[in-house]
Amino acid sequence: MHKIWLIIKREYLTRVRKKTFIISTLLFPLLYVALIFGMGYIAKESVQNLKIAVIDSSGYFSESMVTRENNADKSSSLILIKNSPEKIIADYKTAGYDGYIVIPPINWKEGTDSLFFKSNKSYGSSATVLVEAKLNRIWNEIKNDSLQIDADKQKILLASHLGLKSKNIKDAKANAKTAEGIGYVAGLLIYLILLIYGSQVMMGVMEEKTNRIAEVIVSSVKPFQMMLGKILGIGLVALTQFFIWIAFVLVIYNIAKATGSGGGAANAMVGQMQNMFSSVDVPLILFCFGFYFLAGFFFYSSLYGAIGSAVNEDMREAQSLSFPITMLVILSIALMTSTISNPTSPIAVWGSIIPFSSPIVMMARVPFGVPNTVPWWQLGLSMLMLILGFIFTVWFAGKIYRTGILMYGKKPSWKEMLRWAFRKN
Amino acid sequence: MALLELQHLKKYFASQKAVDDISFSVEKGQIFGLLGPNGAGKTTLIRMITGIFYPDEGRIIFDGKKFEPVNDVSMIGYMPEERGLYKKMKIGEQTIYLAQLKGLSRADAQARIKEWFVKFEMESWWNKKVEDLSKGMSQKLQFVTTILHNPKLIILDEPFSGLDPVNTNLIKDEIFKLAQNGSTIIFSTHRMEQVEEICDHIVLVNKGKKILDGSVTQVKQDFKENLFSIGTSQLPAGNGHAPFDVVGAKDHALVVRIREGSRPNDVLQFLLQQGASIQSFNEILPSLNDIFIKLVEGTPTARQFQTVKA
Repeated sequence: MHKIWLIIKREYLTRVRKKTFIISTLLFPLLYVALIFGMGYIAKESVQNLKIAVIDSSGYFSESMVTRENNADKSSSLILIKNSPEKIIADYKTAGYDGYIVIPPINWKEGTDSLFFKSNKSYGSSATVLVEAKLNRIWNEIKNDSLQIDADKQKILLASHLGLKSKNIKDAKANAKTAEGIGYVAGLLIYLILLIYGSQVMMGVMEEKTNRIAEVIVSSVKPFQMMLGKILGIGLVALTQFFIWIAFVLVIYNIAKATGSGGGAANAMVGQMQNMFSSVDVPLILFCFGFYFLAGFFFYSSLYGAIGSAVNEDMREAQSLSFPITMLVILSIALMTSTISNPTSPIAVWGSIIPFSSPIVMMARVPFGVPNTVPWWQLGLSMLMLILGFIFTVWFAGKIYRTGILMYGKKPSWKEMLRWAFRKN
Repeated sequence: MALLELQHLKKYFASQKAVDDISFSVEKGQIFGLLGPNGAGKTTLIRMITGIFYPDEGRIIFDGKKFEPVNDVSMIGYMPEERGLYKKMKIGEQTIYLAQLKGLSRADAQARIKEWFVKFEMESWWNKKVEDLSKGMSQKLQFVTTILHNPKLIILDEPFSGLDPVNTNLIKDEIFKLAQNGSTIIFSTHRMEQVEEICDHIVLVNKGKKILDGSVTQVKQDFKENLFSIGTSQLPAGNGHAPFDVVGAKDHALVVRIREGSRPNDVLQFLLQQGASIQSFNEILPSLNDIFIKLVEGTPTARQFQTVKA
């Protein structure tokens, strides 16, 4: 036991002290925050202040209406053209317009679907949609005037409506939207951990094999201890990174909440997180996340470790042998996507119980609520199966590892590796 | 008393009998040569002695008791032929780690490493990484890591490959000192001149079987071909009655083989009677190299390997 600790300590410390670990741990959340704020900024900056000439042949549009709407919504400015529209059409650019809209002589009762914003540039729907909304608000005023609907009646028309949301009658806190989001993020994180840290285990084992230090180490400890020490050490590295990130999020959350400043994006984030904390069972989700993260990591990383022990220094050999394992992880993500849209379908239920996909799929289901969406027996069975699963893969990988780590030469096939696993001694 | 005793060890792999019923014993304080062509089963044998492999059959007695890898590995130091250290790890830290795996405490390991580093003039290496070292330097480091925990049994597989003569002598002296201080050393190599120089006792394995076992002097006696070198100015005439055949000449000396039934004295007597002036008279003992080649040559495995190596 003492020796496993030594190995864990070495694996952990050499990785945590690496510059790449420190940089990626610090950079990832910074990049994430930068992405959120940056996207908000870009969205704000990229709004084009279109100056549009409106040539009205219907005669309904008035200067006062257009001015009022221009003041209410500054994302574009419409200018009603009274005199010599031909000149504008011919040369709207020198007059300072981005383009023009011709409103044909239409009836207020019918409207039209065929207005065009004409310009010598192409504009995406994000630009035209705002202009369209503005035109419609003006058009509504025109209709209201024609129907003689006064301000009070308009208010009633606008305010009074029916809304529909789904409500889980057993679990008052359940919120499908939040659950989807949390499930998606949790599943994706586990997916990333399995792939990134799984391949770290594989590379670590390959390094020991190609450095030929493996033989020195196995003359002091059992190969199984060596493998387990590596898996546990790297697992701890992953956990450390996560704790740092969680701490980072909490710090930002508290700072943003306390100061209240930091702009709209930060406030929106705080609001979303408050909403999230109140609508889901946070301790349970965190517990499940920890469990599936570790158990899934053991399950897959031992297989990756076995592959690392079997191949030589050639990365391509490792990739071709690890392809089936990676496919299992990717398949789990595919299952997760369907699970999120329908968390109680048979695919979701079985996907969350069978060990190879359960870490990702179950994490996508749990936020929808335990025990209503996910009954306790399913969660329990899933956990039990995953524990049995990783005990099996660790044992199986240990067998392959013991033979592979000292074997040089030709790349073994999966069939040969199975033979190593089931050979006595 | 034997420190290590192998009794009918067998280890079969799917494709070959790597070790096929080998027994021998290694005395305490001995420098023991484990010889054999590549692919003979030496590495498999060593891996069983170091507890990396379990024998399919047979027993290993270590220090009077049945060999228990879990506890006994801390009394063994093994330097494999394919050497390896963590390239990116600092040398001091790495050496401590390897010593701790052998059961030393951190403080103990540190003190001993400092001592050895001073002895081998390696003090400045502490914070360097292995990738900064030359091949010979990392070889020295590997030797230190092997013997740091004062093992009772030290197994060295080709310890001098890649070392310059100065460092070879440095390590060689340490090996002699370790043996004098009671450590037992198993020394595996192909370099027969080193075996002759260092080893007390040798075992030769080929194709998984032991084909030779004895002290270096005994083996040489067993394989001598009654060859003598006679330094003489001229060939005596009428050597038809001579008790020897001339097989060659070398540097003003004749190489002769004494006929069956005759003794060296008969040769000298004959030469003296003939009036030859003798400057020297020496027995030519076969070198271990000759014995090795004689025993191993012609066996398919050895041939196969030789073609591969060429």
